[in-house]
Amino acid sequence: MRRLAQGECDDGKPTKFTPPPKPVIIDKTQSEASLRKFLSPEFIPPRQRINPLKFSIERKDMIQRRKVLNIPEFYVGSVLAVTMADPHASGKTNRFMGICIQRGGHGLGATFVLRNIIDGQGVEICYEMYSPRLQQLEVLKLEKRLDNNLMYLRDALPEYSTVNLDMKPVPHSVTGDVPVNKTRVRMRPKPWSKRWERPKYNVQGIRFDLCLSPEKLEHAQTWAEPWREYDMLKEYDTTALEERILKEVQTEMSK
Amino acid sequence: MAAWTCGVLLYRGARVLAGRTGAGRTGAGAAGDSCLFQSVRTVKTTTWWEEHLTEDNKSYMRKSLGEEYNRQIAAKLHPLKDEPWPRQEWTKGSRRVGLVAVKLGMAPVWTKTGERHVVTMLQVQDCHVLKYLSEEEYDGHTAALVVGGKNASPFYKTDEEMEMFRLAGVPPKQKVTTFKVSDNAIIKPGIYTHHHHQTSIGKGFQGVMKRYGFKGQPASHGQTKTHRRPGASGPGGDPAKVFKGKKMPGMMGNVFDTAHGLKVWRVNTRYNVIYVHGSVPGHKNCLLKVRDTNLPTYVEKNINPPFPTFFFEEDEQLPEDLYDEDLFIHTQPSLTL
Repeated sequence: MRRLAQGECDDGKPTKFTPPPKPVIIDKTQSEASLRKFLSPEFIPPRQRINPLKFSIERKDMIQRRKVLNIPEFYVGSVLAVTMADPHASGKTNRFMGICIQRGGHGLGATFVLRNIIDGQGVEICYEMYSPRLQQLEVLKLEKRLDNNLMYLRDALPEYSTVNLDMKPVPHSVTGDVPVNKTRVRMRPKPWSKRWERPKYNVQGIRFDLCLSPEKLEHAQTWAEPWREYDMLKEYDTTALEERILKEVQTEMSK
Repeated sequence: MAAWTCGVLLYRGARVLAGRTGAGRTGAGAAGDSCLFQSVRTVKTTTWWEEHLTEDNKSYMRKSLGEEYNRQIAAKLHPLKDEPWPRQEWTKGSRRVGLVAVKLGMAPVWTKTGERHVVTMLQVQDCHVLKYLSEEEYDGHTAALVVGGKNASPFYKTDEEMEMFRLAGVPPKQKVTTFKVSDNAIIKPGIYTHHHHQTSIGKGFQGVMKRYGFKGQPASHGQTKTHRRPGASGPGGDPAKVFKGKKMPGMMGNVFDTAHGLKVWRVNTRYNVIYVHGSVPGHKNCLLKVRDTNLPTYVEKNINPPFPTFFFEEDEQLPEDLYDEDLFIHTQPSLTL
């Protein structure tokens, strides 16, 4: 009888090392109060003269859809993988993963845009969150970035938009703050699709010092509108509304 | 009374003015006199309803009227108790009464094959039939039913308008329209027209558009002279005139516009909301007329609707939502195409 060497099984052929499955830890010790409160931005109605009844009817439909399809919490800058029904693909589904660069729309028409670079070609797909063709939404990496809108990644170096297609989900905690990724991105030489240095885009996540001279940055500041932050007509305080809607959504989802 | 006294005052005041100017400049006296008659305006200085009331009275008026209208609406919800006019059967070619609805907003909707369409949500708020006009009264061809829409406050309505609402026993409405109706579809005034009346497919609408300003011409010219001028106004020497109906700058909008043949995707019975395909003229929260289509493509689908309208039976419970067969309902699992 000889000792089995590592990587051999009974008949002497080398086996592939299969790692043991990771144990799934369900933390029931954390109370609800410590869980992070997150209300998806499409639930918050925009400031318009629309009857609130319309929003409440739409919200009911959204909650019904969320009970069937789990739409997880994610932010702009997180990496998501989406499986969608596709009649022309083999297996009838197609899977796409990428960085979320934008979340738009309100109510049932809410959308998010995922960007990835595949075979050297940048690809952006805009998905509707409540479309019945979406079958699964996974968050591979939950993080925030310095900006709310990462459209400047189109003019940045490709390494910042690539997401490895074999990426494994990175575990994230359910409590506490969402990690903020403070990378500041290097850009390709100008011309860009938009003049990102201008203050109306309010971009924090670009390394302007590497691509623009201080004179150009100063010249861009001439388009600044410093009075806008004092404009009272543009104030839209949603804190009370958000709390109410969050409570309503949580009670409906737990039913 | 207030109007009359005011008119007299103005006249007198104007006279006084003319007298003063006459004293000042003798030449202008006659001119002043003629101006007098041309410039007399009827200025109405009526008061608004709450100007001379105390706070307590104001709140009492509002509350009592609100309660009275709630009672009236509750009384009209079950018209079968009230000896309604005889209900007749649907025949081909008969027209039902329509509804008055409020445009809430728009939302996306998906079919079972995954296509996305947009719908407008229309809410039917307190739609009551106000009056019946027989053929002779209306126009000699068809009978008509006068229908009212959303409830409004009675304080800003004239007495003549209030008379009609009082006869029908119904709170005053913001919008009153007439619908042409065939004889077998007449309903006794005071009946609450329920949105369930409209489960069939295909509607026609009317709304009032906001004004846009000048319409101008489509900008599909190749030249770069000036971009918004009308260009040529017609052919040359042979007609030697501009044809009638030539598009020229002018008033646009603020007319009744109709969207025809819109499909109804879904009806919510709890809030009385109709989900209708596509867009509808009018701004949000505007009042629209809704009626069945006359378009030939949809006539077969509208056979045997609830006629003349949907009457609420005492014990009947309607499902909360009524969906079109192609529509994807969000409680179903995700599509697997």
